[in-house]
Amino acid sequence: MLNPGINDSYSRRRFLKQSTFGVLALSASRFFPVFDSGVNLPPQIVGQLRFFSPKEYLIVEAMADRMIGKLNDGAPSASQVDVPLRADKFLSGADPEIQEQFHQLLTVFNAPAFTFLFDFRLSSFINMKPEDQDTYLEDWMTSIIGFRRTGFQALKRVSLSMFYTESRSWKEIGFEGFDAPR
Amino acid sequence: MIIESKDISKPVRESADVCIIGSGCGGGASAKILAEAGKKVIVIEEGGYFKTDEFESTEEFAFSNLYRQRAGQATDNLAVTVLQGKCVGGSSTVNWTTSLRTPDFVLEQWAKEFGVKGMRTKDLDPYFMRIEKYLNVHVEPDENHNLQNRIILDGAKKLGYRAKATGRNTRDCAKIGACGFGCPIGAKMSVNVTYIPDAVKAGATIFSEFRADKIEVTGSQKKVLGAIVDRLTQKQVSDFVIEAPIVVVSASSIFSPVLLLKSKLANSSGQVGKHLTFHLTSALLGTFDRSMYPSSGIPQSALCDEFLNKNGDGGGFWMEAVPATPTLAALAIPGFGGEHRKLMQKYPSIGATIVLVKEIDSEGTVTVNDYGRPSISYDLGSRDLDYLKQGLKATAEVQFAAGAKEVLTLHARMTSFKSLDDIEKKLARADWGPNEIALYSAHPLGTCRMGEDARNSVVDSHCQTHDVKGLFVIDGSVTPTSLGVNPQITLLAISEKSAEWIVENFNRIVG
Repeated sequence: MLNPGINDSYSRRRFLKQSTFGVLALSASRFFPVFDSGVNLPPQIVGQLRFFSPKEYLIVEAMADRMIGKLNDGAPSASQVDVPLRADKFLSGADPEIQEQFHQLLTVFNAPAFTFLFDFRLSSFINMKPEDQDTYLEDWMTSIIGFRRTGFQALKRVSLSMFYTESRSWKEIGFEGFDAPR
Repeated sequence: MIIESKDISKPVRESADVCIIGSGCGGGASAKILAEAGKKVIVIEEGGYFKTDEFESTEEFAFSNLYRQRAGQATDNLAVTVLQGKCVGGSSTVNWTTSLRTPDFVLEQWAKEFGVKGMRTKDLDPYFMRIEKYLNVHVEPDENHNLQNRIILDGAKKLGYRAKATGRNTRDCAKIGACGFGCPIGAKMSVNVTYIPDAVKAGATIFSEFRADKIEVTGSQKKVLGAIVDRLTQKQVSDFVIEAPIVVVSASSIFSPVLLLKSKLANSSGQVGKHLTFHLTSALLGTFDRSMYPSSGIPQSALCDEFLNKNGDGGGFWMEAVPATPTLAALAIPGFGGEHRKLMQKYPSIGATIVLVKEIDSEGTVTVNDYGRPSISYDLGSRDLDYLKQGLKATAEVQFAAGAKEVLTLHARMTSFKSLDDIEKKLARADWGPNEIALYSAHPLGTCRMGEDARNSVVDSHCQTHDVKGLFVIDGSVTPTSLGVNPQITLLAISEKSAEWIVENFNRIVG
């Protein structure tokens, strides 16, 4: 006999489509494409992008900086370890369904229509103050809506794996690679 | 001969006695047995081929080249991360060497509930012994256990729990700690350095970066059709067709059912893709007041099996050590931002212990998504959830007994304990829904289960599909239940036994 609550919540649904609400939000995301007007990104970065649009790059940059955190101790930020560019390279080689869903996720995560819908905020994620961005991420992480928790996991996985697979992040955590003494 | 996609300039059309799809424990062992018996064997492998000195011992290299979806494969809702190898040698290339025989009670259950024949302990013992000798399976002397494994051995001993050294398939191990990234010195006796070279020596051909998309059956002949892909871009560069009277699907419990479902084969029972088990895993992270070198030394050399089948219900859990490499640790540590980063700065003093639940009322399903790839779901049963909670509590006890100052679960809402007093209360308050606690599987099994009743199983006790003569499934997907132990020795034994049966009955199968 399966635990009813667990059974319901782990049941067979596609990535992000965890509820009727999630399906509606993702479907609606098609009507809110990420416009790039007014986005100022250095040409040398734009020239390297294979997966993100310039606007998406900025969303990921802002999100990853909050996701990784900064401790004012000289340790590198997400941007300093090129997390957005590394994520772009990684996602450009991902399975097509993951690519499609990640584009949709970034739209739902950032667009003011959805930040208002979820949290009654009137600003897009990239225009929020840093402390509001943290609260917004916390809301996604602990939301009662399954697809928001899934979305948070997707963003966390991309950010942290792009940061901690990079050797520039290792010194701070005392990791010396695989010849370290035991 | 091992042929990589970069060696190919035109479509490949080949024929063989046996075409094997996949080169892990199932495909590799089958290839060796069949080739040494004089059969013309072609193995196709979707992942790449790497010589041992090409393994770079970094997460970046390993995730990019050796794992499914850069180690990010998961259930559709991302609630359970499903780690699988994608390279010549399959998951054996990236596992942590633990080599254990199938528990008696599991094999008895297969015989009694599923009518499986010839797979009781007495039947498999000769295979276990032969495989253990071939792979140099041994236990490490006491001084070789690293501090992560000492948590289990020392903590369990203080509490009176049964704990012991595990078998490991290594020879001249240098204790680098990079088992999960492909052993760079060839000390791990994984399939890529044992069965595959021996199969090649006996005449087998291995094609790497060949992705099987479909199997077609015409009379007694079969065709495997698919794409030859570029290693870096994963884009198709050409195509292949391999014809053979016998096809062995050894693409893993996630990909074997996908291939059968796409090919519309072997599913008259409706069981293909069902009964997926995970050996569901979560972890506890203890912080110690000394350096624990969380990713150095032998990653996994001890276990505590006090609680496996303790109630006689076939369920339960056990504990193993885990190499908490930086990215694995970062993804496991709850939260994000500054608080997460402060925890990461404690990385050197982390002691990580995993809890693995042998499922009795959980099941998953693998179906084919709109892109022709696996869609994975999983329903966690209430009894297994209870075992998971018990496992986390017992593991916290072990961690404290070994000297942990604080212990953290992997719940999204930070759940930590500084003493045993508040464990039950905090675990009772914790959330257990999808993505409210980090869950993993490195042992996905089931989905094409074995049995003698064609109405509720996919293959018979020789791993031949009930529906199609000459079509076999030989890999982790055939296990009728969760094993409760790390599966590689079980899968190698099933594979060797089934391949021997093919050799003995070849003419009858293809006739």
